Amino acid sequence: MIRKTGIQDFTKPGGQVAELEPADWMKLPAPYDQMDKPLKKLTEDQRKRMDATLDGVVAIGILPPSMPEEEKAFVDRFLAGVEKLFDAKDNWTFLQPLYHSLEYCVKCQICSDACPAYVASGRQDIYRPTMRPELLRRIISTYVKKEHPLLRKFKASNIELNAQALIRLAELAYRCTLCRRCAQVCLLGCDNALISREIRKIFSQQMGIAPKEVHEKGSVQQIKVGSSTGMTPPALADILEFTEEEIAEKTGKKIKIPVDKKGSDILLLHNAGEFLAWPENLEAFAILFDAAGIDWTLSSELVGYDAVNYGVWYDDVQFARVALRHAQAAKNLGVKRISLGECGHAHKAMIVVADRVLTGELNIPRESALPLMEKIVMSGRIKLDPGRNNFPVTLHDPCNMVRLMGIVEPQRRILRKIAPQFREMTPHGVENYCCGGGSGFAVISSNNFPDWRSSVSGRMKLKQTLDAFADAPSADVKKYVCAPCSNCKGQYRELFNTYGVWEKSGIFYGGLVELIVNAMADLKQPFIQWEWH
Amino acid sequence: MGTLLIVLTYIAYVFIVAVYAIKVRKWLKLPVHIRWDLYPVIHEEQYRYGGSYYEKPEWWTQPRPKNTGRSLWHALKDNFYMGEYFKRNPLYWLFLLPWHLGFIFIILFHITCFFAATAMVGGVTIASDSPQLLGQIFYGILMAFAVIAFIGGTFGCIGMPVIKLADRGLRSYAMPMNYFNYFFFLIVYASGLYSWLALDPTLAEYRMYWVGLITLTPPDLNPATVFHIILFDIFLIYLPFTRSTHYITRLLAYFKIRWDDEPNFRGSMLEKQLNDLLAQKLSWDAPHILKGQSWVEAAISSGLPETKPETKKD
Repeated sequence: MIRKTGIQDFTKPGGQVAELEPADWMKLPAPYDQMDKPLKKLTEDQRKRMDATLDGVVAIGILPPSMPEEEKAFVDRFLAGVEKLFDAKDNWTFLQPLYHSLEYCVKCQICSDACPAYVASGRQDIYRPTMRPELLRRIISTYVKKEHPLLRKFKASNIELNAQALIRLAELAYRCTLCRRCAQVCLLGCDNALISREIRKIFSQQMGIAPKEVHEKGSVQQIKVGSSTGMTPPALADILEFTEEEIAEKTGKKIKIPVDKKGSDILLLHNAGEFLAWPENLEAFAILFDAAGIDWTLSSELVGYDAVNYGVWYDDVQFARVALRHAQAAKNLGVKRISLGECGHAHKAMIVVADRVLTGELNIPRESALPLMEKIVMSGRIKLDPGRNNFPVTLHDPCNMVRLMGIVEPQRRILRKIAPQFREMTPHGVENYCCGGGSGFAVISSNNFPDWRSSVSGRMKLKQTLDAFADAPSADVKKYVCAPCSNCKGQYRELFNTYGVWEKSGIFYGGLVELIVNAMADLKQPFIQWEWH
Repeated sequence: MGTLLIVLTYIAYVFIVAVYAIKVRKWLKLPVHIRWDLYPVIHEEQYRYGGSYYEKPEWWTQPRPKNTGRSLWHALKDNFYMGEYFKRNPLYWLFLLPWHLGFIFIILFHITCFFAATAMVGGVTIASDSPQLLGQIFYGILMAFAVIAFIGGTFGCIGMPVIKLADRGLRSYAMPMNYFNYFFFLIVYASGLYSWLALDPTLAEYRMYWVGLITLTPPDLNPATVFHIILFDIFLIYLPFTRSTHYITRLLAYFKIRWDDEPNFRGSMLEKQLNDLLAQKLSWDAPHILKGQSWVEAAISSGLPETKPETKKD
């Protein structure tokens, strides 16, 4: 039974603000409707080390201050961060959209039902897209603008702040995937997802607080060793050698993956997750580009071989550092353009967001690999046999590429040409649902956060994927979710593992380029091997 | 009383225009931001399905046609339709739309009154049976605007608190100010409705009042009409203290944020602006940011602990 939660509950010390019960969650189709288990409870020891009083889930794991002075310092530091958020020097990057959203949202709740996490949770009040902005708005009214108490009463904008309330707010900022479906339905142009990001920014840029997988083991590790996966340039060389052997074994083709080829037309940036978890994606790109005669290269320069840029989710400075290094790698190779492989957030980060960070010689033309793939497929340069993809295929739209960049049709035109049983999810295109792993969730793996990600934030995507294949539910019919994004694939893997989707329904997931290569008529055997991993 | 009414009206109009202008200027003066577009972007060629110029290979070599007129129409029409609400919460829309139409049309009514009064000063008779076509047109428009404003506004002001109290999501975010607004605006609209229905069915008094404003001649009006006009003037003065500027700022947010897909090309004005912004100093306190560095310096530095000088202050 959903407990009604008000804004005032955030500042009450002690107990948990919201309880998540499987019985409340949005129903999944059979047989998945009987599979939900309560989220893993944190141990007593974990609860001592980190505050989990938002919803019993921990993404960051903040140790609550124990002494009153520490608590005061914690709160003061946060408030100083809020002030910087409104400073044109410290936050020129997002000041205008932030100001607009805080100032002009009328809290009409039209955005609530657009949020998959809110709906899937059984409509938990804490997950309403308006909750975080309202908390921030009240903090600003009470502690930053210091509005008169009577005015605060009239505007219901008072809040009694304490460290625990702030920790809950920090955690709550990591219950939004930044998919921006809420912003899309707002008639006033307000963006509550952006406010989640800006709250994350205060914690990161002011207080040094962020989930370790995103910051310490994410963007910091990427800058330090070259990749958020920890993969170093020598390790990259080993992986590429292995990849070439795999290609030869699967296809009989002897392909040399170009690395650091100066003056190439294209620098291809892959999410390094592909190298480790889905090497078939890397292989497929190499096979396709080789067959199409594309002049391309990878970079082995630090950061230059991993397209991820986690900063886009939480920290402008980390974002700028990584974007700069990507551009520098391209400049050092003297390539004509940068092409982004199948990674949604890297698309958004490097092509769109970095557009107002990279200037001068570092402003190298950047594009998605999807239109290039479409050009290759439609050109007739490669003989394709759609019969090789004659199984049910649906398409997941990565939010960053689609709703946030407007790359909607190239992938569809490809699928219509090479996948005879292609069908859309509902809704799709720019109205798609997030996979539930967006904004770093797919990589946050500590404590019980993965449970929440599978049960709540990914629930809507699981449902609509199952619905898309409702005409062929049997596991005997092999089906394919085309997810042209590394993070989304990570989330699909997690979702399908949790619910046993491969075993029960025979649904496999993978990228777009794999399907293209699978349709290549000159390959002796199918490229897609239907091996669950 | 008539003189007071004229003075109050001028103060109200000057005040609302000035405060709205200040608010809009403040909005526009905020620095260029990082791109944060959201699709569909209506000026794009492929706006019907939400496509962008990024769908084209080597997009920077291709034309990027922009249909600004379509964007403007798209943004403005929602002021009169609010389609997203109709789609997602029809019951709420049923009250929200009239409530907004009340605002829009009461202001349009008064603006039209001004033009009608100007025409009257120029010798045009405003009436349904006016010998001049212009007089008939003005009459018809004024009647339509007033009816929509008074009836729509009154209906909306009664319905909005009801729906707000009935819906838990709306109720939990409602503030006393909302209920005050519903009550105050209800008096404004209902007083206009009463004055029209009971005393002034052709709205002649408003035209006299506006002629008085233009010619600075205190009009002789029915007390009920005077009461409504005073309330309307207070309404104009109060509006800038509410979120009502969103009628304008929502358009700015659409054009300057949601649909801002202007790429940054080398040597452009935008690039110059960005270079200035990137040269600004940072003051964030986290360990991975060195206070006092510019954005460019911060981006070039790694922010790793071993590279940080010991002099960093918290």
